[in-house]
Amino acid sequence: MKKLLFVLLIACLVLAACGTAPAATKGPVEISFMMWGAPEELAVWQAVVDDFHAANPNITVKVDVSDWDSYWAKLNTLIAGGTPPDVFAMDAPLFLDWQSRGALLNLQPYIDATPGFLDGFYPQTLTAYKTSDGYYGLPRDFQSIVLFYNKDMFDAAGQAYPTANWTYADLLAAAKALTLDTNSDGKTEQYGLWTDTWDMELLWSEAIWAYGGEIISADHTKTLIGEGPARDAWAYIDSLYKEGVMPTPTTSGEYGSDLFQSGMAAMTTIGHWAVPGYVQAGINFDVAPMPKGPAGQATSVNSAGFVLSKDTKNADAAFAFVKFALSDAGQKRLAELGFAIPVLKSVAESDSYLKQPGTLNQQVFLDSIAFAHMKPVFKGYEEWAAVVGDGLTPVFDGEAELGPTLDEVVKSADVILANNQ
Amino acid sequence: MTKKNHKFVADLLTYTVLIGGAIVMIVPFIWMISVSFRVPAQQYARILIPNPVTFQNYVNLIKDLPDNAFLFLTANSFKLSILMVIGQVLTCSMAAFVFAVCKFRARNLLFALLLGTMMIPSQVSLIPNFIIFKYLGLIGSQWPLILPGFWGGAFGTFLLRQYFLTIPRDLVDAARMDGASFFGIFWKIYLPLAKPAIAALAIFVFKDAWNDLLHPLVYLPTDMHQTTLTVGLAFFQQQLVMGGKFTVLMAGAFLSILPLLIVFFFAQKQFIEGVALTGMKR
Amino acid sequence: MNYGLKPFGRERIWLWLMLVPTLIGLAFGTVGSLLATLGLSFFDWDLINPPQWAGISNYAALLQNKDYIEAFVNTLKFSAEYVPGVVIISLIIAVLLNRKIRGISIFRTIYFLPTVTSAVAAALVWNMIYGKDTGILNLGLESLGLSPICWLCSEHAMFSVVIVNVWGAIGEGMIIFLAGLTAIPRDYYEVASIDGASDLQKFFHITLPLITPSIFFQTLISAINAFQAYDYIYMLTRRGQGNSTVPVAVYSIYRNAFNFFRMGDASAQAIQLALLVAVFMLIMFWWERHYVVYE
Repeated sequence: MKKLLFVLLIACLVLAACGTAPAATKGPVEISFMMWGAPEELAVWQAVVDDFHAANPNITVKVDVSDWDSYWAKLNTLIAGGTPPDVFAMDAPLFLDWQSRGALLNLQPYIDATPGFLDGFYPQTLTAYKTSDGYYGLPRDFQSIVLFYNKDMFDAAGQAYPTANWTYADLLAAAKALTLDTNSDGKTEQYGLWTDTWDMELLWSEAIWAYGGEIISADHTKTLIGEGPARDAWAYIDSLYKEGVMPTPTTSGEYGSDLFQSGMAAMTTIGHWAVPGYVQAGINFDVAPMPKGPAGQATSVNSAGFVLSKDTKNADAAFAFVKFALSDAGQKRLAELGFAIPVLKSVAESDSYLKQPGTLNQQVFLDSIAFAHMKPVFKGYEEWAAVVGDGLTPVFDGEAELGPTLDEVVKSADVILANNQ
Repeated sequence: MTKKNHKFVADLLTYTVLIGGAIVMIVPFIWMISVSFRVPAQQYARILIPNPVTFQNYVNLIKDLPDNAFLFLTANSFKLSILMVIGQVLTCSMAAFVFAVCKFRARNLLFALLLGTMMIPSQVSLIPNFIIFKYLGLIGSQWPLILPGFWGGAFGTFLLRQYFLTIPRDLVDAARMDGASFFGIFWKIYLPLAKPAIAALAIFVFKDAWNDLLHPLVYLPTDMHQTTLTVGLAFFQQQLVMGGKFTVLMAGAFLSILPLLIVFFFAQKQFIEGVALTGMKR
Repeated sequence: MNYGLKPFGRERIWLWLMLVPTLIGLAFGTVGSLLATLGLSFFDWDLINPPQWAGISNYAALLQNKDYIEAFVNTLKFSAEYVPGVVIISLIIAVLLNRKIRGISIFRTIYFLPTVTSAVAAALVWNMIYGKDTGILNLGLESLGLSPICWLCSEHAMFSVVIVNVWGAIGEGMIIFLAGLTAIPRDYYEVASIDGASDLQKFFHITLPLITPSIFFQTLISAINAFQAYDYIYMLTRRGQGNSTVPVAVYSIYRNAFNFFRMGDASAQAIQLALLVAVFMLIMFWWERHYVVYE
């Protein structure tokens, strides 16, 4: 009997020993690169990494790609535990949260050492990462929000496609015509429009700007989404729900999180990252710029960037990798990926981006930059966004009144801002 | 009412309740399997047997994972879970025996401390544990996922202690008189008698280890050949959920629980044997 | 309880040898879980810079944090519905399965299936089932002529979530109770039959008292699971990237730790939750001393 115990323990040790040693074969320098993304992105980033390795044989890059939620859980743990990745991906709005806490390496010395490095970039993409003492990150690609529409659904309803001259009123009218209860069972089978209204990026920031309002004060102390014209924008958004052309947040959960992709909505407002998914789902779609509001046309521009950890032991190698990904060669690869728009003007305006597979009018994304506002970046962004998003969701679910809720939300949001000064 | 009628009514009630409950238990699974074999266009259709039946969802899932990743992911999950089961059964049973049967001064304090470790949810202790492992130099290996299995656990010890407490003292006294050693009483009397509880513990530990997402995510590289099935599927799920591709999601869900079901069938056999044995003994 | 076994002389070393692995685990767990969390609760830590001393400000903030208070209250409500549900239902099922009926292993398998499933997989199915327009639950209601219910809207979300959690836990309770029931010698029942006792009397006078160890265990474990419930709630009620319609304590703790850079607050909340668990444990152990019957 005791022999069995002994044998069992030995077996355990053997099993445990298998694969417990770190699997990496160490080259002279090894850097770790963490990002969030879709499985398809992993394949292309691996290709970029391989290209980089071919050009720099003494540097090996380990790529670690997770889904959005897992990414932040893992990143936070690694950093808290003192084993941060060398290079990691950062969402522009969250950039200040990290930079202000001293987690990131100042890249200015490297940029200064490479004159003209930033010349080819779209300037709007760089502003988010610039601080008073230099750049603490660099944009990897950028996103502009445009209006996507399902051509088949429009044809079936006899509706004209959206144009660059559309107003929000046109959007609502078209959405109404495209919201269908095909079998008269009291349930909507097709919605005219679907978008996310929790975070500002997809609709409500654009609407507020187009109506002449603002999101936050320039010194990041006051929340302005409840002032003046902004309230008209909210009334418009609320009407989308009340008219039934958009599914309520709770209902849309039933259909997956992107109803345009699942073929339940005729229009959506989203960025380029959704394109590969739509193509794969076989949707016949095209894009148009965001509609105009009473104060003009507006859309939101955001980017995902590279940042280096302040405690990285391989800063030179890490920056070399970032430089490669931001070079012509690297950006071309990423353009082919189709998830985002390259930050290098030369690549964005070249065939690599414009002639991607698909019948999409890629130029629309570039043209939108002309009237785009940067997505606000400030310390405490995530908490602030949570307060606003969570606070307004009951209104959209039809469980609360817009006016009073908006006032309360602004108050709570200001508290967050105050805590983060 | 005659005794026979009485028994009939009792049995009728019993079966009604059991069957009714069983239906509630199993409907989600039937739905899961049904949806997983449907073509996407029919994913919401209110039917039971899909028509046409398609295996495409499963094929897509396995194909989408790069080169045989599915096998690696499953193997990793399996290995870590089995190790966890062996470790927990061994160490928890020993501790449970001592707590249930011996009187020593530190007993209550240690047991209270043990229960205390259950009070903090795992999401909170994730970071402190990570830091400790870092100081032990174990980050980068699989040890943070294996070691905790071999140093006991509150749940397992508590569960087995409860069971050990129900084993009558006279068995022990009789064994003592026959000259049995301390360890011998544990190994030859208590363990065999506790087979049902041990089988139960094995199932629970395996399930928890198999379904664990946070720990493999953080301690293993997110590489499709080195991480576990839960992490791998979470990675793919986000895309699928976005597109509302429920047919593929259900296929993935079913695949993720299939190994658990297989393990359960084997452990269940042990369980039945254990139950039968104790029934006879008593 | 009479602990009788005293190791003789040199055998004492076996006692401690058998405890060594657990002692190591205890050291790790006490330091890594309890002390670390307790310690962190007195600091402000953003995970990036060294922790800053915060005294009891995190605890004071708890009382003012509307979100956390809501989460805490939800946790209590959830537990009040969940624990009795699981314990009572799984006990009934176990007792019924312990009789001589046919197909016992099939029943046992079916009842255990939900427990064996991962919360993620199960939540995906239940999300479909609860769908207002497309779910089969509402289909059933409609075919009975009733109007569909929005299961995951704020009105009913708590109830729906409790159902899913109970569904997933009955199997576990059933196994625990079955293990306990089989430990009751059959002769007790035989003797009672000879004395003319009815089934109901047998249940209340033999089964129930002798199964109190399992009831004790199952109630305590269920309560801890209820206080720490997270997975199903997260997957079923989360609205986009935001909060859930039924935020519970661990939900708030997780967001504070991993999304808001507030590890200190998260730790304080965790300690408060732990105190809740501790209080409940004390109550249960008091109950054990007076009502639980060991042989």
